[in-house]
Order: sequence, then C-alpha cells, then structure tokens
Amino acid sequence: MASLDLEGRRVPLENGDTVASALFRAGVRTFNRSLKHHRRRGLYCLTGDCPNCLCTVDGEPGTRACTTEARDGMRVRRETGRPSVEIDALSVTKLAGPLMPVGFYSKTFIRPRIAWETAEKVIRRATGVGTLPTDRGPRRVEVRNVHADVLVVGAGIAGLGAALEVAERGERVLVADEGRVGGLLAPGAARDRLATLAAAAREHDRITLLEGHVAVGIYEGPMVPLAGRDELLRVHPCRVVVATGAVETHGVFGGNDLPGVWLGRGAARMAGAHGVPPGERAVVVAQTDEAFEHVSTLRRSGVEIAAIVAPAALADRAPGGHRVLRDGRVVAAEGSKGVRAVVISAGGARERVECDTLVLSLGLTPRDALLRMAAEEPVVGAGEVVRPGCSPVEAEESGRAAGHGEPVERRPLGGVVVGGRGTVCLCEDVSIGDLRDAWAEGWRSSEILKRYTTATMGPCQGVMCGRLLASFAATEGAPRAGARTTARPPARAVPLEVLAAGVHETGTKRTSLHERHLEMGAHLDRSGSWIRPYRYGDRHEDYLAVRERVSIMDVGTLGKFLVAGRDARTLVDRVFPCDVEHLEPGRSRYLIVLDEAGYAMDDGLLCANPDGTYTITSTSGGSDRMEAGLREWIDRWGLHVHLLNQTAMLGAVNVAGPLARELLERLTDDSVDRDAIPYPGHGRITVAGVPCHAIRSGFVGELSFELHHARSRGVELWDALLAAGQDLGIRPHGLDALDVLRLEKGHPFLAQDTLPDDHPTKLGLDWAVDMTKPAFVGKVALERMAAFPLERKLVGFRFDDRPQRGAPVYASARVAGRVTSCAVSPALGFPIGLGWLRTVDGAFPERVQAGGVMATVVPRPFYDPEGARIRA
Amino acid sequence: MGLMIVCPHCGSREYTEFTFGGELRDLDAPDPAADFRRVYLRDNAPGPQRERWFHAYGCRRWLTVVRDTERNVIVDGEP
Repeated sequence: MASLDLEGRRVPLENGDTVASALFRAGVRTFNRSLKHHRRRGLYCLTGDCPNCLCTVDGEPGTRACTTEARDGMRVRRETGRPSVEIDALSVTKLAGPLMPVGFYSKTFIRPRIAWETAEKVIRRATGVGTLPTDRGPRRVEVRNVHADVLVVGAGIAGLGAALEVAERGERVLVADEGRVGGLLAPGAARDRLATLAAAAREHDRITLLEGHVAVGIYEGPMVPLAGRDELLRVHPCRVVVATGAVETHGVFGGNDLPGVWLGRGAARMAGAHGVPPGERAVVVAQTDEAFEHVSTLRRSGVEIAAIVAPAALADRAPGGHRVLRDGRVVAAEGSKGVRAVVISAGGARERVECDTLVLSLGLTPRDALLRMAAEEPVVGAGEVVRPGCSPVEAEESGRAAGHGEPVERRPLGGVVVGGRGTVCLCEDVSIGDLRDAWAEGWRSSEILKRYTTATMGPCQGVMCGRLLASFAATEGAPRAGARTTARPPARAVPLEVLAAGVHETGTKRTSLHERHLEMGAHLDRSGSWIRPYRYGDRHEDYLAVRERVSIMDVGTLGKFLVAGRDARTLVDRVFPCDVEHLEPGRSRYLIVLDEAGYAMDDGLLCANPDGTYTITSTSGGSDRMEAGLREWIDRWGLHVHLLNQTAMLGAVNVAGPLARELLERLTDDSVDRDAIPYPGHGRITVAGVPCHAIRSGFVGELSFELHHARSRGVELWDALLAAGQDLGIRPHGLDALDVLRLEKGHPFLAQDTLPDDHPTKLGLDWAVDMTKPAFVGKVALERMAAFPLERKLVGFRFDDRPQRGAPVYASARVAGRVTSCAVSPALGFPIGLGWLRTVDGAFPERVQAGGVMATVVPRPFYDPEGARIRA
Repeated sequence: MGLMIVCPHCGSREYTEFTFGGELRDLDAPDPAADFRRVYLRDNAPGPQRERWFHAYGCRRWLTVVRDTERNVIVDGEP
C-alpha cells in the first residue's frame, strides 16, 4: 500500500490524498509552528492560501501540504519548532516573545550595534519556515515566451466558461491553474459542472489548459509570468481574464489560530472531498449562505454540530435539528494543543460551548491581487474574484461575459470587523495587539503599518490578512488610512529558482576558443553574458605560469572598438578624462570612463593609431554600455565619427609572463622589443602568420601583450602559442588566476570592487584624470565634489589571517567599510585584499578588523610597486 | 503589446528592444549650480516628456521621442 514518510513514521495514502489529508487522517493536528511566537498551527484554509500547512516535502521547504498531491515514498518533515514541532521549547518558555516585539527589525539590538551580531544568530535559529536544502544545486528552470489571444488565470467554472467563450469566438486561449482542475471542490453539482466544462476545454483545439502553473503577477504589456515546476512561461496575451476565485474571510478573535479552527470551505473539503471528518464536535459560524451546505457536509461525515452561530437574518435558514445562537459572536477559542471550547457572546450573555472544531464562514475575500496590480492593462475579472459568493451559474455567466471582453462589475466589499484579540497575519505572526502597539507608536496608515509590522508580507502575500489590515487602519483612523496596500508581484509564493530563471537568458556568448578550452579540460562557467574558463586544472599552477614563465589567456570577451572619422579625436578628447592631446600614435593610456555625475562606469585602454583612428578596449561586461555611451555623444554633439564595435569580430589572447617576449620572438619577424612596442603602447605584428594588433597591458603585473586578431584565426594563434612555448613551461590561465594576479597589483574590478557612486579620487585613480583639460564628461561634477572632504575610498588591506570577501570592516567598534576582494597572495605570502573604507572621527583608520581578522591599511600595488616588470 | 516605439530606421518596435536613456537633458549648463540641476535632478512630471531611447536590439542608434508618462504611450517621435 502506498505511503509517505513523516519524520520516520509511515503514513498510509488513499486515492486523491494531498499531503495534508493523509497526515490529518493519520492523526496529525499540528502542521507547523508560527513564525515568531511558536504557536501551534493546524489545517485552516485547505485551498493553498494560508501558511498553516507549510512543511518540507522531499527536501523542499515551504511546500503547501494542502495542495500538494501525496505520492508513494514522499518524505515529509515539519521543520519549525525546536527540537520538534510537537515539543517546542521556545513556545513553553516564551523565549521568543520578548525578543520580537512588533517592529523588532527597527528597534531590537540597535544599540550597542555589535549586539545584533549575536542576536541575529539566535533569531535566525528561532524563526523561519524551514531549512534551505544545501545538498543540491538550484533546479534549472527553463524560460519560454508564449503568445495567446487571451490568458485565463484560474480554471474554475468562471475561468473555463471564459475560455470556452473565447475559443468559440475563434481566438486562441491559454488557461492556467495553480493546481488541478476541480482539485478544490467537494463532490456536488458545482464539481459536476466543472468536469463538463473541463472536458469541453480539453477537447477544444484553440484552448491550452495548463495545470500546476501559478500566475506570479501582471506586468506591462500585459505580460504574465506563469511559474510551473521546471519552467517559467512568459505569456504575452492581448487580454487577460482573472478568475482566481475567493477565499473565506479570516476571523480575528482570541485563539483564532489554534489547530481545530477551520475556514468553512477547508472543513467541507476535508469532510467531502477527502472523506475525513475534521473533528468530532463542531461549532459553525454561519454568516454566508454556503455555511449551511458546510453544515450538511460535516454532518454526513459524522461530525456532531454543537451549535450554529448565525445573524438573525440567516438563522431561520439554518437546517433543523441544530442549536442556533442568533446574532452570536465568537469571543475566543480555548485550548492549548487544539480547540477545547469556544466562547460565544449572544444576546448579551456569554456561553462556553465545548467542541474540538470551530468552522468559520464569515464571508468571502476575493483573491484579487492580480486584478489590483493591473489597473492600466486589458484585464477583467470573472467569477468569485469579482462576485464573491456567486452561484456556479452566475460564475459561468460572468466568465462568458468576461470572455467577450465585457468588464464584470465588481460587487463592493464591506469592511470586516477587527476587534478583540487574536492573530491578524498568520504568516508573519502579527496580532491585533501588535497592530494597536504599532498604531500607538505612530504608524498610522495601512501602508506603513504593513512595513513596520510586516503584516501581509508573508507567504500568503496578504490573501488572508490584507483586508483585515486595511479595515483596522480605516477603523482607527480616516478611511484614507485604510486603503488596501498596493498589490505587487509575486501574487503567490514562488521558489527563488523561478525568480532567478532567465537571468542568464539574454543568450550566452562563446569566444572563438571555446572548443579549445573544453579540450584542455578547463573549468568553464558564466561570467556576465559570456562562458569563460576559470582554471585549467590547478589555479595556482596557472598563476605560477604567469608570474614565473609565460601564460596565455583568452580575453576575446573584452569590449573592442574602433573610432574613425574626422572628429574621432574630438570625440575621445571630449568624452574621456585622460590627456588625449599628447597621446602619440603607437602609445596608449589607461582609461577610466566617467558618466556626467563623475562616477566611474567602466575602464579600459585608449590606443592612438598611426592613421588618426583610435582603438578602445573596455571591460567584458561594459562593452554594450560603452557603445551606447559613445554613440550618445556622437549623436548629440553632431560629430562625424564612425564607431565600429569589434567585440564580436575580434578575438584576443593575452600573452603574459617574464618570457612573453621570448615566446613572441619565436613566432614573429616583427620587432617586439621595448622600443618597438613600449609600455604603455601598441603595434601591428604578425604572429604565426596571424595579423595581430599587439597592445601592452599591465593588468596582471607582468610583461604582457594583448593580441587582437580576426576571430576566425583564433584557434590557429592559440595553438601556435602553446606549441612554441612548450619548453618555456607555458600553460593557459583563467579568471581564477587573473583574480589573484590583478589583486596583487591592486587593480579593482569595476562593479565588484567599486560602488555606483565612486569617482576617481575614491578609487585612487586621480592619476588617470587630467583636470587641466578644458572639458570632459564628468569634469564639472568632479570639480564640485573636490570641494568636499573625502569620506570613503578604496584601499588595500594586509590581513593578519584570511578574511571572507564581503566581510564588514570595523574600526572603533563601528562599521567603517567592507572587504570587496581578498586572497592569499602567493607572491607575498600573506592575505591581501581590496575594500572600501570610511573615515572614523574625521580620519581614515589604519588598523581595522574585518570578519574577526585584523588588517592594516597598506598602499597599493602590493606587488612590484614600481611596475618594473610591466615595463620590461 | 507593451509600449511601442517608432524607430526612424527600423519601424514600430516593442520597447523591450530599446534601452531607456532618460529625460532629454541640455548638453551643458552655464554654471556649476545649473550643471548640478542638469545632471542630478529630473522633472519626472506627468504628461508629455522628451526622452532618449537606444535601439539596442535593432539599429543601435539613439532616438528622441515624446512619451506621455501618464498613459505610457509615445505621442511623437523624431529621428
């Protein structure tokens, strides 16, 4: 017999079971512990809305047990609670409470600052909904673009009605549902009608039905991302129909989050669809018509109805034979492990009714996040999302109307009563008392209450509590204070893997030497949009080849530009901050590229060619921006310049190391001595029959020649260099060795070691800027900033022990910077690094602490400070 | 479809082919204070706005268009 494993215990499965129904049938009542106060949480909505059944399924934390189909052999763990979800020390001792008052992010352990380091660890251990799996890498999520005339979100009666209408009109329609069609409905007329519609939709060749796909949000276009298990679909429809339905309204009273408190549809689903009675004796709060259907469903499954609490207007319609408490109100649910009794106030008297189940049918709250985020787009709602509580017939009609493109008028929603005690936000564990405290502290609108208390910001994204939060603010203050908070993606919780999907999707680029790297056993990986070699076996051996012998690196990814035309010189002179006037043909200069705010955007080399043109190189990641930036100035200044982006046309190999010249001399008849191609300079040579533009560069700190060549000749050149250098001990190096080589020279990697507002002085690059020039882009900004004292700069560190990259730098117990690069320098024999440093009490500290390691601020470069090796 | 931009070289294309270049700004300013405003401050006003777009996935040229920032539609283009 099929079964799943719950923390080592075998739980048998029946047909149609979800993880939640199987566990519940086996007697599990506590599914997880609340985020902050470690209160027991049990099944509540059963529709994938609330956070109460989040557990870890097959290693994946944050999985909703109630909408996850159970499969044989599944491993399920309830991860919250220490040591276990059933025995939670943090709940018994109430340790967690005082650590986490409302707004604790803003006020706990702010002083002394160092206390946060310890407290954070404790809080991290005490909170959360699971453990991130570390035994596997991220799942690969494919991204596809999909086009359709109409997208329908939600394959219920309204959604399928809309889809069929659209398809019958001759348009193509995509219908997406986060679960299985009909998965949430108990047997009955509605489920039968849905089955009929679903069968018709599956038959129709203009309808594509996608199950297990969640609509993450609605973006401009409209564009709707649909997250499936292993794919992310970017749907580009002309119109969208949102038919996401409604969830029963969450009720707030003392003990409202105890296991045994159910939303009506959840209890009915457990009883009707799964055949498991949600309890033995229930009190039903009936403020909707459908509550009485729930009563019948519960009775059929064997639940005793202790009482029905209903407003007078509905009380007469209650099924006979039950005790009805007219105009009653739930004051509290009592119990510790679960509901033991419910206190009801009715007719001025309070009554305690013993029961183990409390079923709430308080009204309906539309799942309208998608509708609310799509104000300007061709998006309409259908079914319960616009008409909460509508009949199946009405739902189908509204779906058909929406399929025609008619907006379905939204039925106005009343406020909800929020008073007394109890938990408002189940996800973030925010009580009504927390909201009152926050209000008293001055956070007086729904938007800032949300930010301060984090209510509505959990896994349910405010589906359960968003309306309650707004009502609370509206009751306490002006109606304007109680507007619903802005709806933003994601509308439903999605894994980080899905959010990360498509990050590298702009297309990965390969250099002409890609096959060679593979053959040589290089470790290849992404670097920006390129696939590049990181190391060839041993990174230290790669490093040593550069420092001691000769090595080659594929630098074909560098941005490469040719600037020609009669205004070529005007362009480079007016854009770049270096001295262009005195740059002789055959010489080159280091280029720091500034924007108009004087901030460093990129760096590279500027080479003056004998024919009056200029060759520019930029970083591999900066080439697109370099091109756009130069074209902007050419266009706006009206210059006569041809700008040729040669990045894809040219390959480049950097030949570096003390024996680099010896190697090249074996392969060329042209002179490569220091008079022919000096540093910093460049020249045209033919290497192994391949015409090359040889540019001296200093990045790795050794004699080096960057050989730019026609991409089609790359393999030929690479092979010739390797073959000719065999007896010199040649081996290639990749990005790993480069990182240490350039760090020893103190060269920053733009964007890794720099911040978006770094000007040359902060980077120690004043020498690369000629402030005597009449004008260059960013000059006015630099002059303006020069009037202010320098408060932050990039510095070199010598560490006493090996630190971690990214570690904050402390001076006088204050955070004064951050380590942006670090490594043990093989040449120097101690750990070095780069990082930024702020002034403390008006001066830059010289001795600092970084991640528990002491460090001294030292001048750069660390290696060969005179640059004799580069100039060799 | 989302925002459509008429490129004088390539025709009407979706905005995702373009890189946004911000409000059209003056090329220089008479004094440092004016330059500060020119470089750092944006009008960000609702209504028609002249702005720069770079056709990165097309002709790789810059163009100036007038976009109604309230309705997010291009109301005028110029080469």
